[in-house]
Amino acid sequence: MIQLQNIEKYYANKGVKSYILRHVSTTIQQGEFVSIMGPSGAGKSTLLNILGMLEEPTYGTYEFMGENVVSLNERKRIELYRNHIGFVFQAYHLIDEMTVAENIEAPLLYKKVGSAERKSRVAEMLDRFNMVAKRDLFPNQLSGGQQQLVGIARALAAQPLIILADEPTGNLQSAQALQIMELFRKLNEEENITIIQVTHSEINAGYGNRILHLLDGVISEDLQVVV
Amino acid sequence: MFKLNLKIALRNLWKNKGYTFINIAGLSIGMACCILIFIFINYQLSYDQQFANKDRIYRVVSYWKYVDGEEFQSGVPRPLAPAMRNDFGMLEEVAAIQRSGGIFKVKDAAGLVRLKTAEEAYYIEPQFFKIFDYPWLQGDPQKALAEPNTVALSREMATKFFGNWQTAVGKTLEFKNKDVLKVTGVFEDVPENSSNPIKIAIAYAGYEHSKMKSWRSVSSGSQCYILLTKGSDIADLEGPKKAFMNKYYTDKGIGKEDHFFQPLAEVHQDARYSNFAHKTTGKGELAGLLVIGVFLLITACINFINLATAQAVSRSKEIGVRKVMGSRRKQLMAQFLTETLTITFFALLVACILTEAALPGMANLFKEKISFGLFSQPVIPVFMIGMVLFVGFVAGFYPAMIMSGFDPILAIKNKVSIGNGGGGVLRKVLVVVQFAITVILITGTLVILKQMKYMREKPLGFNPSAIAMVDVPSDSLSILKYNLLKSRVLKESGVRSVSLCSTGPSSGDSNFGNFTYNHSAKDADFEASIKTSDENYLQTFGLKLIAGKTFTKNDNLKEIIVNETLLKKLSVSSPEVAIGKIIQMGGDPVGASIVGVVKDFNNTNLREPIAPILIEKSTGPSTTTLAVKMDTRDIPGVMKNIEAIWNSVYPEHVYDSTFMQDDINKYYESERVMGTLFKVFAGVIIFIAFIGLFGLISFVATQRTKEMAIRKVLGATTLELVNMLNSSFMIMVLLANLVAWPVAYIFIDHWLSRYAYRIELSVWPFITAMSISMGITLMTVSFRSFKAAKTNAVDALKYE
Ligand SMILES: Nc1ncnc2c1ncn2[C@@H]1O[C@H](COP(=O)(O)OP(=O)(O)O)[C@@H](O)[C@H]1O
Ligand SMILES: [Mg+2]
Repeated sequence: MIQLQNIEKYYANKGVKSYILRHVSTTIQQGEFVSIMGPSGAGKSTLLNILGMLEEPTYGTYEFMGENVVSLNERKRIELYRNHIGFVFQAYHLIDEMTVAENIEAPLLYKKVGSAERKSRVAEMLDRFNMVAKRDLFPNQLSGGQQQLVGIARALAAQPLIILADEPTGNLQSAQALQIMELFRKLNEEENITIIQVTHSEINAGYGNRILHLLDGVISEDLQVVV
Repeated sequence: MFKLNLKIALRNLWKNKGYTFINIAGLSIGMACCILIFIFINYQLSYDQQFANKDRIYRVVSYWKYVDGEEFQSGVPRPLAPAMRNDFGMLEEVAAIQRSGGIFKVKDAAGLVRLKTAEEAYYIEPQFFKIFDYPWLQGDPQKALAEPNTVALSREMATKFFGNWQTAVGKTLEFKNKDVLKVTGVFEDVPENSSNPIKIAIAYAGYEHSKMKSWRSVSSGSQCYILLTKGSDIADLEGPKKAFMNKYYTDKGIGKEDHFFQPLAEVHQDARYSNFAHKTTGKGELAGLLVIGVFLLITACINFINLATAQAVSRSKEIGVRKVMGSRRKQLMAQFLTETLTITFFALLVACILTEAALPGMANLFKEKISFGLFSQPVIPVFMIGMVLFVGFVAGFYPAMIMSGFDPILAIKNKVSIGNGGGGVLRKVLVVVQFAITVILITGTLVILKQMKYMREKPLGFNPSAIAMVDVPSDSLSILKYNLLKSRVLKESGVRSVSLCSTGPSSGDSNFGNFTYNHSAKDADFEASIKTSDENYLQTFGLKLIAGKTFTKNDNLKEIIVNETLLKKLSVSSPEVAIGKIIQMGGDPVGASIVGVVKDFNNTNLREPIAPILIEKSTGPSTTTLAVKMDTRDIPGVMKNIEAIWNSVYPEHVYDSTFMQDDINKYYESERVMGTLFKVFAGVIIFIAFIGLFGLISFVATQRTKEMAIRKVLGATTLELVNMLNSSFMIMVLLANLVAWPVAYIFIDHWLSRYAYRIELSVWPFITAMSISMGITLMTVSFRSFKAAKTNAVDALKYE
């Protein structure tokens, strides 16, 4: 599903190139649950952003579902966002002015899903995440864990093939974090959704089936998790 | 504390340069317009206010009520002044003033004419100078004009006649080629803002009609001023006036007459009555300007409030920190108000520069000769300071309240958003108000321009182009030379046709009189406008006959031509029926027979409907004008030759001429001025409103950057994001249009109702105003929102 070859990323500052990613090459299959780990500043977020096409690599090729997506035009990229990719952020990034239900509905509007279908999908999501009672609350009326659940529900609403999550539990207490991880595992196993997450926690990484260790912009280890 | 606040204020303004610029630009332009309007209104209200007795001075004016209308007259019957002096106890002084004018000649010691000039002059009773305290440079006003054939001159006139005003007294002038006037006094020049621009004051005792007894003959040239005794009230004159009216108006006229006492301050402001300066600025126009000024200030203040409250959000952290440090709400308010006042003060400085630059243009627009100045009167700086305080507090208070009221915890956490940051709804309401004002002005401007175009282009029923209206003298000697003048001008190549007449088909002053039709026992129940002319009138002005023919050349046959409206009012079934019928005027036992019926033409400005008109054949004393129709090829050349011919025929008189077309254009002076003002101010308000809109969309875009980034990764296209940002603004402007339409409709319909000939009010001005406002909004907003939608999502979504 994802193929990276020799991805490099650097920022040029006063003529000095500071590399963030170097020679990153890897392949991720449909249905994998990958955790990216590494110390702060290692380039994890940058890598995830490149995978999510939010940033462009300086060098290298990136194929998503068999298509080269480096410098993809905006229209095609938006098509991918609408149909295949869901994002989950550490800071949740819900839209403050919209209710829980409206937040979940938002991507469906862009996907031009009909209103009946939208209603049923939102209802299904709310039901699945036990948030029916909170459907009309605004994000700032929810706890962090609840907000992140809404964030995930929103990412799932559009029925993506892959979820990209940058430290999804970074702001949460461990109990809530585990709940999120359970959810990811369930989605991965039951619906075959590819999940790529950045995390600092070994425990979280244990939920997945593969760990990429990043050190100073280089993949230092690529481990399969054995249960 | 203030000094510190000021320092912080300046730093903050510098930090937010863009918004400071927008604020100062909008405010300063708005303020400049307000200062201009204030200077103008202040000038208009200053008319005739320089006299010590101004509150006790009234002008006596005349009024008639007819079956189908009313008439307002600035003149009074000539016997009125002496009668009032005799009959009213509460009047300290009564003075008649009679307009006149003619040729003045100054001869040197040898009896040779050294200077010959046509001037306006007034016969004035000495009491006039007790009522009005004109500063006299030489002579005693009470004695100077006591004897007939004495004259007092303004400093300017005395200098013009004699080279040096100090030497004028004792010298003589010849007036109208017959009276010799002795100069007995010199007074200071009358300022421009005066309704009685007297330059030459001749003793009333020498006025030929000063002893006229008729109460039925009223001319706007005969006016009368009164000075109330101290302590009496003008309302107390009503009783004596009733007795006075019954005593003197013994015979019945066709209208019911009355006299009013018009306060001096209204002489310049009541457009229903004329005055000797021929300048009135109606209260309606002043009110219109005042409304525009208030609109401008509101629009500028709204900008300010909107930008300030929007900006408040980005300053919430600063506010939170200050509060945690122990700043009290009052201190915060003081700081914000200091900022507002600082901005307003800077705006005032810019406004002064703009005003100074625009003043000559305004003086020019209003054709005022005086130079308006920023500091010509102490009241103007006072107004400016008042305006700064007003704007500073009105615009600054609300944002200061909002900002100082932030909850410090929320503020520090940056949790204050544009939605809950206060003023969200208010801001929308204000934007709607602002755009409603803009739309009203755009619509008004479009309608005024359309009506002006309509008036310019409407066929008047005659052809006014390439016609010179040359004054001719009408004393008995001059009348004898009419035929000579006519035939010599007609021989000129380039002259197509000439006609001697009292006035052109369309004229601002017309002479109304009553008449009988077809030997009826009593007068027709309406008055007709009476014109006199020779047999070439219809041809010269291109008037069309619908029945009969024009006058014969035979001077002994008394003939008359009437217009369609007159026959309609008389209920005459067809024009042919009227031919040969007799019209009698002013008790004339023989009368004149109708030889033709002329197709209706507009006989005055298009505010008025067409009057019933009688055109008498005559080249007698009522003739004032030689109308000359020319080829359009070489008008200046032909005009020069006509002047030469005229001067050789009338060497004792002074030549003067106008063009018919210019006379007609003069009717619409106030429309021209209002049209220009609306264009300028509508432009200014559009500018202010849109510059404010730009500021606002900038804030909204900044505030919503994160949200836009989220939406982007959820799959929104740039276009969808631009639409999302734009739509709320477009809805507000649409709403503003809906609010503005009924208001604009009421204003416009009221304005148009003054015109007998007016455009039909269609939906187009409204649609156009909507398209303009929506179009410019879309452009302004898209410019900024496109930029916002294009920003990189990663930067916005980085974990804070
Ligand atoms: N726009 C940028 N310009 C320069 N350096 C950057 C920029 N964005 C990120 N970096 C640097 O790249 C490195 C990797 O960042 P990031 O991928 O966020 O690390 P991680 O998520 O692993 O902590 C950091 O050292 C950061 O300072
Ligand atoms: Mg990171």
